[in-house]
Amino acid sequence: MADEHGNVPQYPDENFFGNLLEDRRLFLKQTMAIAGLTLTPISFLKATGQEEDELPVGDEEKVQLTIQINGKRRKLSVDPRTTTLDLLREKLLLTGTKKGCDFGQCGACTIFIDGQRLLSCLSLAVMQHGKKITTIEGLHQGESLHPMQEAFVKHDSFQCGYCTPGQIMSAVSCIREGCAGSEDEIRSYMSGNLCRCGAYPNIVSAILDVKSSGQKV
Amino acid sequence: MKPFLYIRPKNLKEAIDAVSFHPQASFIAGGTNLLDLMKRGLAFPEKLVDINHLPLKKIEQKRGILRIGALALNSDVARHKLVNDQHPLLVQAINEGASGQLRNMATTGGNLLQQTRCPYFYDTAFPCNRRQPGSGCSAVNGINRHHAIFGVDEGDPDQSCIAVHSSDMSVALVALDAEIVIAGQNGERKVPLTGLYRAPGNRPNLSANLDKGELITAVEIPDSRYGKNVHYLKVRDRASYAFALVSAAVALDMRGNSISSASISLGGVAYMPWRLPTVEKFLTGQPANDALFKQAADMSVAGARPFKHNAYKVKLVRNVIYESLKTAAGIA
Amino acid sequence: MIKQIDTTSENNSLDRVDGRVKVTGTATYSAEYSFANLVHAVLITSTIAKGHITQIDSKEAETISGVLAIVSHLNSPGVPGYGTAKQPPERAGMGTSFRVFYDSLIYFSGQPIAMVLAETLEQANYAASLVKVTYHIEKHQTNFEENLSKAYISPGVLRNKNSPFQDYIRGDRDALDKSKFKIEATYTIPTQHHQPMEPHAIIAVWEAADKLTVYDKNQGVKSAQGNLAQAFKIPRENVKVNAQFIGGAFGSGIRVWPHTVAAVLAAKMLNRPVKLVLGRELMFSSVGYRPYTVQKVSMGADSDGLLTAIVHEGIGQTSSYEEHLERTILASRVMYDCPNVSTKYRLLSLDANTPTWMRGPGDASGMFALECALDELAFDLKIDPLTMRLRNYANHDLERNLPWSAKGLKECYELGAEKFGWKNRSHEVRSMRKDGMLIGYGMASSLYGFHRHPSKARVVMLANGTVIVQSATMDIGPGTGTAMTSIAARVLGISPDKIRFELGDSSLPDAPGQNGSSTIPSVGAAVHVACEALKKKLTELGDAMPGSDTASYADILKFHKLPELEVTEESRSGPERDQYSMYSFGCHFVEVHVSLVTGETRVKRVVTCADVGKIINYKTARSQSIGGVVGGIGMALMEESVMDHRYGRYVTSDFASYHIPVHSDIPQIDVLYVDKADTLANPIGAKGLGEIAIVGVAAAVANAVFHATGKRIRSLPINVEKLI
Repeated sequence: MADEHGNVPQYPDENFFGNLLEDRRLFLKQTMAIAGLTLTPISFLKATGQEEDELPVGDEEKVQLTIQINGKRRKLSVDPRTTTLDLLREKLLLTGTKKGCDFGQCGACTIFIDGQRLLSCLSLAVMQHGKKITTIEGLHQGESLHPMQEAFVKHDSFQCGYCTPGQIMSAVSCIREGCAGSEDEIRSYMSGNLCRCGAYPNIVSAILDVKSSGQKV
Repeated sequence: MKPFLYIRPKNLKEAIDAVSFHPQASFIAGGTNLLDLMKRGLAFPEKLVDINHLPLKKIEQKRGILRIGALALNSDVARHKLVNDQHPLLVQAINEGASGQLRNMATTGGNLLQQTRCPYFYDTAFPCNRRQPGSGCSAVNGINRHHAIFGVDEGDPDQSCIAVHSSDMSVALVALDAEIVIAGQNGERKVPLTGLYRAPGNRPNLSANLDKGELITAVEIPDSRYGKNVHYLKVRDRASYAFALVSAAVALDMRGNSISSASISLGGVAYMPWRLPTVEKFLTGQPANDALFKQAADMSVAGARPFKHNAYKVKLVRNVIYESLKTAAGIA
Repeated sequence: MIKQIDTTSENNSLDRVDGRVKVTGTATYSAEYSFANLVHAVLITSTIAKGHITQIDSKEAETISGVLAIVSHLNSPGVPGYGTAKQPPERAGMGTSFRVFYDSLIYFSGQPIAMVLAETLEQANYAASLVKVTYHIEKHQTNFEENLSKAYISPGVLRNKNSPFQDYIRGDRDALDKSKFKIEATYTIPTQHHQPMEPHAIIAVWEAADKLTVYDKNQGVKSAQGNLAQAFKIPRENVKVNAQFIGGAFGSGIRVWPHTVAAVLAAKMLNRPVKLVLGRELMFSSVGYRPYTVQKVSMGADSDGLLTAIVHEGIGQTSSYEEHLERTILASRVMYDCPNVSTKYRLLSLDANTPTWMRGPGDASGMFALECALDELAFDLKIDPLTMRLRNYANHDLERNLPWSAKGLKECYELGAEKFGWKNRSHEVRSMRKDGMLIGYGMASSLYGFHRHPSKARVVMLANGTVIVQSATMDIGPGTGTAMTSIAARVLGISPDKIRFELGDSSLPDAPGQNGSSTIPSVGAAVHVACEALKKKLTELGDAMPGSDTASYADILKFHKLPELEVTEESRSGPERDQYSMYSFGCHFVEVHVSLVTGETRVKRVVTCADVGKIINYKTARSQSIGGVVGGIGMALMEESVMDHRYGRYVTSDFASYHIPVHSDIPQIDVLYVDKADTLANPIGAKGLGEIAIVGVAAAVANAVFHATGKRIRSLPINVEKLI
């Protein structure tokens, strides 16, 4: 696996499958139709044709509910088991909110629900009926970035970018809730958002920068 | 996740009925632990009763007693003026727990009822008495760095459970002699918080003393005698967002330099927040000083029963008690 | 001579070119491509470590609405490249990659054994929970410490005379015995996992019977393309691998893993696009790990601290079916000016999945041992640890007896010591305190070999003067596109915002995967030469037109009626590779505070310095250096995958039990570079940075902890119970 210098090589794909047994015929003879490559229409967003109820209605398979997402009222029909995170990512194609662990242990799925930062992986979509959700996609308007997004670019507050939407949501909250008074206070507030690339110092710098600029977040 | 019917009861009675009369119904509030369990197939309610809309969020004071509604969020409790003024110990403990996002979701009642975080419980590949009574406790002869040193079953621990309760908030509430209000088919009852937790015995699967359909509606904390002479100290594997290896909630009622009464509760060492009545008694009436606290620290680990990987907790408890007594008494 | 770069004043500090899409959530990672008719796949994995499956009962699971198929070795149509399984099944010999759904045999706990395919994720997850598997259990061996006596020298190494993992000896074999001062110590690195924030994920789409497209998390689209072509016996060019955005990997994406093959197989079976995302718990058994490593280091010196002998022996963990070799002991041959050195490297096969390279592979482990051992010797001799390193500074490569192409380690030491205030350190342990905390200063050196692979880049200038640069390289986070844009902008003399760099697509010109800190040295060189070639062409075209002095590139294309101008160039190492020894070097200075009460260690200050030749883009380089330090702090203080050996299964398979650093664990980190081009290495004078950023950090932390407490922790992580 390593050359004579002990170098880590590119993985040699010629040897990837190692000492293979004898080849066998291709297992499928039938021709394969071309798999669809088109964007999915959001077929789940059926209008219910009735006014928003106080309670979500449905059964074990589907529940009708209404949620305001990034300023838009959406009438949805969801499997009651669907988490808020999977609703966003799988059904609404709002993939900016990330699934890092799915068990509330990383913060990548942080969103605002009625203005509070929460973990979308540990909440059910049905529980959000009648609420207002803001995701990373709803943080800025049009071409101009939110000040925190700008600061993240300026301070290079990320590398791979996967934890970034969650970090930015928490960072915005950090200032809104008045918890950006010192580096240590910021770190404590932000500790629910893991970053494996280790962008932490640059995230703290971005938050301090936005805080000191006095911009409205 | 097994399919379930999701309902939102209109009032408390409807909620209690919904769970009481369905064999596989469950309340859901913050959901931070229940959804975790449901995703792993460790809880599989057929009916999920969402109680978040019940009016149980209020934090108020009546005749010296602070009443925290069971649905008050951890973060709301920690921010509340009444709580900050009267029970800084509780505020400290809550803010040491979980993460900001989780504290924005987790409710007071749910926090008290959270399941253990023992990995053997969560991974169904391992035997676990808490999950399946009689299958054995994997931790007893396994990896038990995080496990209990107090409250271990006197009999064969392998037939019991040595997992610890992981709440920080509860450790402070127990030190503050909190009571819980429970509503059920037979009306309301009030018990000391310590009475909620059940020694694992040989039925560790029954972790709380609640009847089917019973719901915690509030936590009540008696008038505080402790003022600022309190301290919550938590030791963990990283600086934040980790369960306690050991934590201590210490509250002293000081008259001048003298300790009128003391309350000490430990986290991360037993199936429930672990009070130290002998140490509390020992401290009562004594003048606060370093030597006294050293003695108290030594006493605090009497009866500890460590396992292969958690003997360090004995020393840690001693250190943590000594340090938090000093800090609480202001002689650090 | 030494230049510190100020982010604000230098123009080699571009913002990330993909910054906007990353901060707006519009960067598309592998699991985020959208397809009509998408099928969700969920893996079922083994709960035992060794044995075979006797039964898979999927009856109940199959009745669940939405379930399309449940695949296992019982009904798998087979992966053509695997060949046919024997009946009865035979255990794979050493050197055989794991074959998913191939036969009933179990090689490790967490092995994929079946897969549920369903219309929705909820349905697939629920059905997976209903599949019941029964096993015949065989006795497994997963306990490294208990099996040390079974460590062996790899047969492949024995066969290969040139293998660096042969037993090595230079100089006097009795030198250690003759040494005036000596130490001997054993260092242990537990199994650690990469755990990038993005779980591994794939969407597989068969576009025709022999035409495959995958959106897969990996670190090399070209090798993934080759691997999948081989697995499914289709022409390489019929496989398209897309991996434009990778949410971190740190080595976990260097190989194509079984789950990727499983998803492709499923897509073929159903003739529908299939998405498979690993749950976090499967990230502990599916995509490799840093191997458990035990090392014994003996070191001798004279009373001035001059090294007289180094003996470094390492044993690393591997699986029962593949050998995984790492550089663990190799640094000891080149790091210091020591005439007498011997090394031994052994493997220990356990019933666990195969390890893989994790950031700073081998060297992060080996340099922990070497740099701690040197610190131990320095303390014994009452010599300042930095002085100790300077006294033993290697002015050439003693292993290969070659001059360095460039080595600015001395400058690193000076820069770092100055910035850190190393001179304020008192030598005695437990001599510095503040607010009831013990304070410790520690440092360690870092090195990592230079890796440059043949690479191609295509540069296309469009009629409007904008430029597209393409190469099948990757960006797992360091900012490849930004660095390449910076290189192209400098060569072509145009604004970076007129350049678009494209990567992560197997149809682009050949490039190595992103590993071994090789991207900038390899692909950066290719981009450089391709841009040089384009510029030359443009200059020639410009010279052939009137008014060339004032003509813009767009004017030149317009004059010659060219809609675009394209060049593709390859760049590879020259003879210098054999004439010089090439390494990146660095060092780290760390201040820790250790609580006497709780035993908790917190890193309060870090200065990290590197000589990696020319810094291509300061802003992203700095982030990479910081990231390496953060990884090293995790390695030092908290990362440990703990297995219950009775079951051969991890008990730390989530982020609540496998701890990585959080915000509160990490202070501000100062980054300094020597920033001098190593022109022998490649035309851009840049060497790799990703690995040396972490190599040595754990040693620096451990050395600081020793300085604070007087306790020498030789077994990572340095947790509470080791210090109270």
